[in-house]
Amino acid sequence: MKIRGAYIAAAVAAAIMIAFPAFLGAYPLNVARSVMTYMALAVSWDMLLRSGQISFGIAGLFGLGSYASILAVLRGGMDPLLSIAFAALVAGLVAFALGFAILRLRAMYFSITTLALMEIFRIIMHNLHDFSGGPEGVVLPEVIFGGDASALYWLCLGGLAVTIGASWYFERSKLRLALTAIRNDETSARSNGIDIFKYLLVAFVVTSTLQGMMGAIQVQSYGFTTPDTAFDANFTLLPLAMALLGGIHSTIGPMAGAVLLGIASEWLKLKIPYGHLVVYGVIIIIVILFMPNGLFGLARKAIRKAGGAGSPGSASNGSDAEEGAR
Amino acid sequence: MVNKRKTTLVVALIAAAAVIILAWRPTVLIYGLQAAGLYASIAVPMGLILGIVHIVNLAHGEFLMVAAYATYLLCKSLGIDPYLALLPVTAVTAGLGFVVYKLTIRQTLKAPELNQLILTFGLGISMTQIANLLFTSQTRKLSFDYVSASIDIGELSFGVYNFVFLGAALLMVVGLRWYLTRTTAGKAAVAVGQNPRGAAIVGIDVDRTYGFVFAMATALVGMMGAMLITRSAVFPTVGSPYTMKSFCLVAMAGIGNIPGILGASILLGVSENLLKAFRGLRGWADIVFFVLIITVILGRSIRGKKA
Amino acid sequence: MKKALAILMVACLAVPAFAQSGGTIKLGGTWPLGDITGKQGSMAAQQAVDEINAAGGVLGRKLELIVIDDELKADKGAAAVEKLVTVDGVDALIGGMASGVALGQIPAMKKYGKIVIATGAASYKVEEALGPDANWYFHLHPWDYNQGASYAQGWDEIQKKYPAVKIRKIFLAYEEGAFGKSSFDATKVLFGADKRYSIDGASFKSAALGGGDYGAVLEAAKEFKPDLFLWAGYDADALPMLEQAKAMKFTPGIYLGAPPGWPVDFGASKLSDNVMLYGMWAPSINDVSKVSKAFYNGFVAKYKVEPATYFAPLSYSAVYIYADAVKRAGTTETAAVIKALEATKYASPLGETITFTPSNIIKHQGIKNQKILQWQNGRQEVIWPFEAATAKPVYPFPKWK
Repeated sequence: MKIRGAYIAAAVAAAIMIAFPAFLGAYPLNVARSVMTYMALAVSWDMLLRSGQISFGIAGLFGLGSYASILAVLRGGMDPLLSIAFAALVAGLVAFALGFAILRLRAMYFSITTLALMEIFRIIMHNLHDFSGGPEGVVLPEVIFGGDASALYWLCLGGLAVTIGASWYFERSKLRLALTAIRNDETSARSNGIDIFKYLLVAFVVTSTLQGMMGAIQVQSYGFTTPDTAFDANFTLLPLAMALLGGIHSTIGPMAGAVLLGIASEWLKLKIPYGHLVVYGVIIIIVILFMPNGLFGLARKAIRKAGGAGSPGSASNGSDAEEGAR
Repeated sequence: MVNKRKTTLVVALIAAAAVIILAWRPTVLIYGLQAAGLYASIAVPMGLILGIVHIVNLAHGEFLMVAAYATYLLCKSLGIDPYLALLPVTAVTAGLGFVVYKLTIRQTLKAPELNQLILTFGLGISMTQIANLLFTSQTRKLSFDYVSASIDIGELSFGVYNFVFLGAALLMVVGLRWYLTRTTAGKAAVAVGQNPRGAAIVGIDVDRTYGFVFAMATALVGMMGAMLITRSAVFPTVGSPYTMKSFCLVAMAGIGNIPGILGASILLGVSENLLKAFRGLRGWADIVFFVLIITVILGRSIRGKKA
Repeated sequence: MKKALAILMVACLAVPAFAQSGGTIKLGGTWPLGDITGKQGSMAAQQAVDEINAAGGVLGRKLELIVIDDELKADKGAAAVEKLVTVDGVDALIGGMASGVALGQIPAMKKYGKIVIATGAASYKVEEALGPDANWYFHLHPWDYNQGASYAQGWDEIQKKYPAVKIRKIFLAYEEGAFGKSSFDATKVLFGADKRYSIDGASFKSAALGGGDYGAVLEAAKEFKPDLFLWAGYDADALPMLEQAKAMKFTPGIYLGAPPGWPVDFGASKLSDNVMLYGMWAPSINDVSKVSKAFYNGFVAKYKVEPATYFAPLSYSAVYIYADAVKRAGTTETAAVIKALEATKYASPLGETITFTPSNIIKHQGIKNQKILQWQNGRQEVIWPFEAATAKPVYPFPKWK
């Protein structure tokens, strides 16, 4: 009963999202694309976080996907749409190869290594002048779909849908149990016969693939990239902040956070042309201080208070956020 | 133990490499050490916070920036030298660090560590942007004659001023080592860093220790901010790149290993300048930093597994 | 939950801001407002709008400027264009600074075909992305190759007029990003074509991006013994590089900087004396141009600060050029205004009359010349072009004491 309700709500939401271009202008669609891109990155980052591994390499895989896609089109004459799949594959393969080395690392050392890898990708693209265009980047002769606002929106929505789908699968399959077990107590997870490395590798490769795909979608939508655009540290830090502000270890939390920060930044910019980023920073501080479990954590708390005991919801794993406070 | 053996190994390797480089291209070593001094002196305070309070302070560079602006304003209005402004600025940033700790960071200590990370990220954005509103992005620089102090050896002329940063780094490392191993407060801080709950049980005020260490670290950052304006221009994002660099250095040395930060800085500073000495490779100098970090971290993890 | 979010999103985004007013002529401006260039550019554009309105407006209608921050990000810049065109219904777009943002905006600009008067975007990649058909695009800022050609011509003329100045070897220290790299490429092509010059260069990491060590690059320069030493970086590099050059006793015949702006009070430093620079505008142009003086005084009166970047007079010019074209066209209708813009002859505060002529790809390139200036007694004096000169060059750069 409860599950069916969730499905209906999701279907309605999806229908509304798909129909957006029918009643929204080019500007809201453009903002929506930006929000959806960050949303997909935030959700994909959270998927790996569910195993306890904190990646600082989102921008690295995003940028890698951007370059793989644009260079495949420009140097290899690939179809733009196909190049998105190709870029996702490249990001996945790179993650697969790197995973063998870096997934043995834990905590901060894993984070730093992913950050360093991002910088290495950036420096390589920066220095391969003839192949990657060097610091000035590369420009496509034409944007995908001729720049049609609705088509670009649907493309981005498609990327987001794939990401959310993967995240839901992570939440509902035995992957979730395995990843949660690894996060909570690696030693006992191992003694229970969980192949930790295998699950970490799956999570790392899948999330990297998704991040590479979003990079490719972004680059095809704007038709150009430079090392500083593709590997912008904001593609790492903002998804992190969004996931945290929304509530981690869930699909819906990072989504809520992306909507909050994405729309806040655009709205503030129009209201306060000079100095809007000050308010943006203050919002982040305030949310962290007063909603330590994020928007979704707060909502969950309110529901629990209102509804007594509450139920182990299908899409939420209630106790996760509080666990960190142990 | 493993850490110590590694450090000595690194030092020995550096000494051997240094002799070869000095004979071939002395400036590689000179500029490498100068760069290392700056890296290390800014990274050590972050290592202190990370080792004891266990916070990755993403606003690290912004504290540096605030100190740099404070020094600039003081020097400009009173016409004094940054080294005279150093003490008051250090006091101000220590106070700022303490207030920031009490008002914000302290509130998130019970939350998952990611919250502290994002909190300091928000603090960093706010500080940079407030500075941008107040001072614009246009850079400011006071010039002092002693910055261009130089030595001539035959044909070779090079600046010697930047060695002060190496001096500052050494002082910091030695001072902190003395403080953390010889004084009661320092020993207590180390105990809190290793096991806050155990420290609380034996009667150490953990919260006060955290606050004090945070303020001490920001005071050191403030000192570096005052020194930084002698060599560098001041602008809102002047500190930001140092945050990541410091973080990487601390990770490379291993958390809690403060002398290791200096070793890591020297290794990086000299290797970077070594690459810069080859014409075709200059653009790749940055990559050394990150390749070395990954190599050291992975190497340590492999050795850790064996041991 | 998701439905609620979706509804919230619609509510936030679909605010009906379609208050279409027939009264005002609307200009949409995008600049990086967090950067001094964009901040002062947008301020100067507003100053021009106010001046024009105070003088009765255009065709009896008032001008209105709507400014949006592009945050130096391509996607934000593109969203700003979409908003200005579809929500605010602007008649034309002005502004711009970074090439990276312009590249992100071009697909949206192409879609609408509104008149654009661009005050930034120097990279030839932008021109490639525009293509030959973008007849609505009026590019005020010189392209990178225009700048290179202009300097080549400038040094030629200076050497003819002042025989003491002899340039054979040129060394370029360039920051490793897009800005420095394109400067180096343009210099190599334009000076390299002339067999008289031999050129070398090396990159450095700008202090603006966490660098600030110039030892290696200055050492390479010193070994090359250049007659003209040129650095292309940012204002954060200006004084530290001089200090290091002094420490290394590096004294080229000409020490020249080409940053987009200079630090506050650079002229107050002893080291600044006789440093040459490339630029488009300096307050000293007030001495030779009445328009510049009027602009300068108006800016200082309105904002109580000095214009510190040429983006201010450039953006000011953009507004006047558009207003003037609308006046001559008698309408804001795009095709008519494009025609009127093509006939533009605007005596600008930059010390030259702006007209639009074809460049390599596009049809409407405004300024093609840069200026060669020199810091003398704390002031930027124009050395070349001679018709706008405010002082004679001091040559050579004195040896360090």
